[in-house]
Amino acid sequence: MCAGALTLGGAALAGNGGFLPVAPHSPNAHRIKDAYVLILIFTGVIFVGVEGALVAFVIRYRRGKRPRDAEGPQIHGSSRLEVLWTVLPVVILAAIGSYVFYKLPGIANPPAASAADQTTITVEGRQFYWMFRYPNGAISVGTMIAPANEVVRENVVSPANDVIHSWWIPALGGKIDAIPGRTNHTWFEAPAGVYAARCSDLCGIQHAKMLATVDVVPASSYEAFISARARAASGIALGKEEYSHVCATCHRLDSNYVGPSLGSDPLLTEATGLETILRQGVGNMPAVGSDWSNAQIEALVTYTKTLAKGGSGEPG
Amino acid sequence: MASRAETPTLSYRSDWRRGRVTSWLTTVDHKRIGILYICTALVFFAAGGLLALLIRSQLATPDESIVTRGSYNEVVTIHGTTMIFLVIVPILAGFGNYLVPLMIGARDMAFPRLNALSYWLYVLGGAILYLSFLAKGGAASSGWTSYAPLSTLHSPGRGEDLWILSLHVLTLSSLAGGVNFVVTITNMRARGMTWMRMPLFVWSILLYAWMLVLVLPTLSAGLTMMLLDRHAGTHFFDPAHGGSPILYQNVFWFFGHPEVYIMILPAMGIVSEIIPVFARKPIFGYKAVVFSTVAIGLLAFLVWGHHMFAVGLPTRLDSFFMVSSMVIAVPTGVKIFNWLATLWRGNISFDTPMLWAIGFIALFTIGGLSGIFLAAFPVDWELTQTDFVVAHLHYVLFGGSMFGIFGGLYYWWPKMFGRILDERLGKLHYWFVFVGFNLTFFPMHMLGLLGMPRRVYTYSEGGLWETYNLISTIGSFVMAVGMIIFVVNIVRTARSGRRAGNDPWHADTLEWYATSPPPPWNFDRIPYIISPRPLRDLRRRLAHEGRL
Repeated sequence: MCAGALTLGGAALAGNGGFLPVAPHSPNAHRIKDAYVLILIFTGVIFVGVEGALVAFVIRYRRGKRPRDAEGPQIHGSSRLEVLWTVLPVVILAAIGSYVFYKLPGIANPPAASAADQTTITVEGRQFYWMFRYPNGAISVGTMIAPANEVVRENVVSPANDVIHSWWIPALGGKIDAIPGRTNHTWFEAPAGVYAARCSDLCGIQHAKMLATVDVVPASSYEAFISARARAASGIALGKEEYSHVCATCHRLDSNYVGPSLGSDPLLTEATGLETILRQGVGNMPAVGSDWSNAQIEALVTYTKTLAKGGSGEPG
Repeated sequence: MASRAETPTLSYRSDWRRGRVTSWLTTVDHKRIGILYICTALVFFAAGGLLALLIRSQLATPDESIVTRGSYNEVVTIHGTTMIFLVIVPILAGFGNYLVPLMIGARDMAFPRLNALSYWLYVLGGAILYLSFLAKGGAASSGWTSYAPLSTLHSPGRGEDLWILSLHVLTLSSLAGGVNFVVTITNMRARGMTWMRMPLFVWSILLYAWMLVLVLPTLSAGLTMMLLDRHAGTHFFDPAHGGSPILYQNVFWFFGHPEVYIMILPAMGIVSEIIPVFARKPIFGYKAVVFSTVAIGLLAFLVWGHHMFAVGLPTRLDSFFMVSSMVIAVPTGVKIFNWLATLWRGNISFDTPMLWAIGFIALFTIGGLSGIFLAAFPVDWELTQTDFVVAHLHYVLFGGSMFGIFGGLYYWWPKMFGRILDERLGKLHYWFVFVGFNLTFFPMHMLGLLGMPRRVYTYSEGGLWETYNLISTIGSFVMAVGMIIFVVNIVRTARSGRRAGNDPWHADTLEWYATSPPPPWNFDRIPYIISPRPLRDLRRRLAHEGRL
């Protein structure tokens, strides 16, 4: 048991073991971690004090050989102590609160940056995928491409006919809900890297699979990506993303999954029928594409046609 | 009627109502209703526990396929709803029913028939919830919080409607129960029992009842709006037609957070009764404990927004709710310090009720401290909606409320049934649950920090995710073994348990003045109350007169 605990402890120390938030890569996430650490220190001290006193009293004042109903000293209280242990927690909590307020502006507000050093991306949560809209009108699904070392402001939304989701990139700051009928804001400023993101608010049967990736790339690559994507708004690249993150969350080509198998479905090549289903839903299937542009639909059909011709169909 | 004159005792009861089963079905005796509440709640506890084992089995390893997707969401929803609405709240009503009249020296609750109605509505509400598994589309599956619009526009099955119906019925049950407690405690105390001589458990039930009466109408309103949105074409929570999903969250949490204190205050009351008796000292700072109970009861109405930090409220609102949530930690801390001071220099016996009470302090402290992380809203943005929250709420509601409840069961079992639960099995039960509990829920703090959201039916990450999840699942089965030991204990005690006598623990409060179990009329006579510890006063007087 001890050895097991040591192994576990060792493994835990190797990362942060889950004793600290996921390693932060954005200033707001750093400050959240700072506030977390401060609270951890204060609560750690209180924890040791309270549990220590509890254990000490339990051992020191156990009955032992005394008769069962021998009374302890009949002490009814102490106003001085009551004041002490009311005021002391107030002081500790005030300290924690002050530190949080001190860190707050750097967490809640994106730093002032010139227009060239910032960009705004709209993050749209839908059952059960994330869609990203870039300033030039380009769209990506499931993977957000973002410029490195720039302030990335995110407008987080969900369409009026959808449910509440919660957008979370653990390494790049806290959650913000995507609420139908409302635009929320958050931001990050991260070095190049690939970061996991996901929905963290129960949004229906495939909530667990509502994952996304944030791919932070050099600014030049970002610019190249969004202009290419804008030029090929109905291209097969977007179509493949749509299929992998929208369709494949609930459908397989060769078997039934959440929804029926798509392998032999004539809709794969039939643009009008596919569009109807995407825009209006059918049965248990939500209207996953209710607000898609015609180009987006076209992109999907371009890709699904390749599946019908005997492509592998597995999300790339 | 002529027959009444011929049979003077209890003659208003017709023959059929005196049968072994029918007398329970038709009872209006607060003690029997209390026992019915407790037994029913324990059955639901077993059901909710089995659902929890399903959840833990599914999450034991990555990409498991025991209960997935829709079924998993049903299990999660009904587990939460069960434990809150069918276990903790009603079992506390059971303790309150059984104990309040005995502790304040009354013969029954103020409204015995209303009391029976409360219980039967509870049974009805529970039956509706569990039968909803058979409904078209299965049981409700949008979580015990049932956030709109997921629960309104995107849950076509009948389960959601039955969930609403069940909660409506349970709300009526608790509302009637709450009114009954308030009236009973306010008007029916024994001669001499002033407010400041009232047992701390009765104080906690008074606050429990007042809070129920004040917040349940809000829940009812929210449920009704939800039902109307689903079926009557209204758009309270539908943004496409000018409604607001956030309105639902405000309404729900205005009820939901006081509900947490509704579930914890009486458990604190139980602990405040047990600790002095087994430490052979008076409670340290009786008045401070009373005032902290009242303070928590009032502040509980001002903290609901801390469940909504990720909603994107204005910073000033987030700040307000952070400060109010931190303020409510102060009276909670006062209680913990007073319990510790009660232990200080005591003569502590470790009978099973005391083990649970000490466990309560140890675990509730952890739940309280993890709450500070969640109150600091920027930190909450990182932690909310993850397993960290699941860990926090279980340290409060299981390590807290349920540990207090188990302490209460071991403590008052001899009064209720005349026999003491087996101590050896009781301690075994305790240690299995204590160890299993920490194995199950402590790693969830880490899982949350590693990025595991709550309410997901699966994950693909290996490494520490897998390790912690597996430990958690093993812990849940260790707890299950403990619960089986409890059942064995109940059966064995019923057959051959040690007879208790009136006052097996040399306790302080009036219920121990009655026989075990007490007669239907509770007391032949009631002493004049001169302190919060009437039984100790009585023992000292008898000792003084040389009669003990």
